[in-house]
Amino acid sequence: MDPQSLETLNQMLDHESNLRENIREQVNDFDRKMRTVVGILGKIHSTRSESIPSLIETARPVLHSCSETIAELASLIPPNQFWRWKDMWCNSLRTAVFAAALSEFLTKGTLISLESTSDMLGMQEKWQDRVHLAVEDYLHGLITMVNELSRLAVNAVILSDFDQPLKISAFVKELFSGFSVLNLKNDTLRRRFDGLKYDLKKIEEVVYDVSLRKLVSTNPDGS
Amino acid sequence: MSSSIYDQFLFFKEALDDYHDQRERIIKASRDITNISKRTIFLLHRRALEAQDAPARVKASKTGLTKLGEVQRMYASMKDELDGDQFWRYQRQVSPGLQEYIEALSFAHFLENGNLVTYEQVQATLCGTDGVAYFPLTISDYLLGVSDLTGELMRLAISGFGSPGGRSRALETCTFVRNCKSDFERFTPYVWELHKKQVVTAQSLSKIEDAVYTAVLRTSEFDLPAEMLDDIVNQTVSSYNSHTRNFERQDDDQLDY
Repeated sequence: MDPQSLETLNQMLDHESNLRENIREQVNDFDRKMRTVVGILGKIHSTRSESIPSLIETARPVLHSCSETIAELASLIPPNQFWRWKDMWCNSLRTAVFAAALSEFLTKGTLISLESTSDMLGMQEKWQDRVHLAVEDYLHGLITMVNELSRLAVNAVILSDFDQPLKISAFVKELFSGFSVLNLKNDTLRRRFDGLKYDLKKIEEVVYDVSLRKLVSTNPDGS
Repeated sequence: MSSSIYDQFLFFKEALDDYHDQRERIIKASRDITNISKRTIFLLHRRALEAQDAPARVKASKTGLTKLGEVQRMYASMKDELDGDQFWRYQRQVSPGLQEYIEALSFAHFLENGNLVTYEQVQATLCGTDGVAYFPLTISDYLLGVSDLTGELMRLAISGFGSPGGRSRALETCTFVRNCKSDFERFTPYVWELHKKQVVTAQSLSKIEDAVYTAVLRTSEFDLPAEMLDDIVNQTVSSYNSHTRNFERQDDDQLDY
């Protein structure tokens, strides 16, 4: 190799490794924020459903502050290189989706859409080729939420919150039939989807237990 | 609400199906490219062995380059699927075929020019007539592709060792491979997998070195230029051949009894 080519390649590689370090820094920041959010949301298991919305309000500012980190990432990533670097932050991003989806369900009882999630995280349309919320990451976040909800169904019963498991059951069933529409390949998403049935089963058992013992309130919303 | 969740998942289904289909197509194309490239390398080996002088080697290289035109056309037809941010989505699927292509290209380039094809030259072969690249060439694909060249050069040097001029060419190849090894060394911290390739390069290098060692040692025992030694050997071989041919004929005759 002539010295000129060696030098050019070396510079390009140096540039890439600097970029990687800068991204790493932002990802660490993202990860710290997500750990805080997950820490707060962990308290839902010891909170009765009427107090959950105010608990979630305390997590919101941290979740919203992710948009700053994401804006930083968007300014770092070179055009068209989203898929090249996304693996670096996909874990944090999936946690963010999980937090957003869980908050939405526990406050409004609905499923947050992919678009609303990416809006909440401050993603902009013009960053599409640098930073966006990919379908896989969104779906991973939803599965994490279901994993968490199956725990919540059990813990709600501990708090004598007997209606919660039924709400969770209806929601998760619907989500599960949504996932069943997908043609999944043998990847992590597929394996995690396969694990969903255990969550579903666990929730069903809780519903069975509380129903048979007539612990559910008799409002018409209940079944 | 129910229908909206269902609709959303229908959309995801479509997105995931499209992704998997495209991925499959690219994997298939990449496999075909690997095949063509491997065949080109064999072709280059055959032609290069027959080629005794520089012009013949250039001609051999041309045959290889023509065959690689097939690969370039395949990349041209894939360019829309790898456009914009899509290239990086499928980079891991593109990589294996691309590295094999770069190996074949660098082999042809070496036969023609005796040096290493540059990053820019490789990228230039992956551009349309408008000069726009089909996709960006990554440095790691380039380095991993060209570092396979050393193995091919070892094969060429050893199998061409006995042919006229083979020994002096082996010496040139030895120097070239040695330079490659030391040039690539500084990139190993950056490029994952390059380390493994360097180990293979080191093995190839020591095979060539051993062969060249023998050549230098033997020629030093005679006070004649290498070409003349070749001639002497050739004469012996050809006279031996005609001799044994007679023998074989006799053997055949005897078998009839």
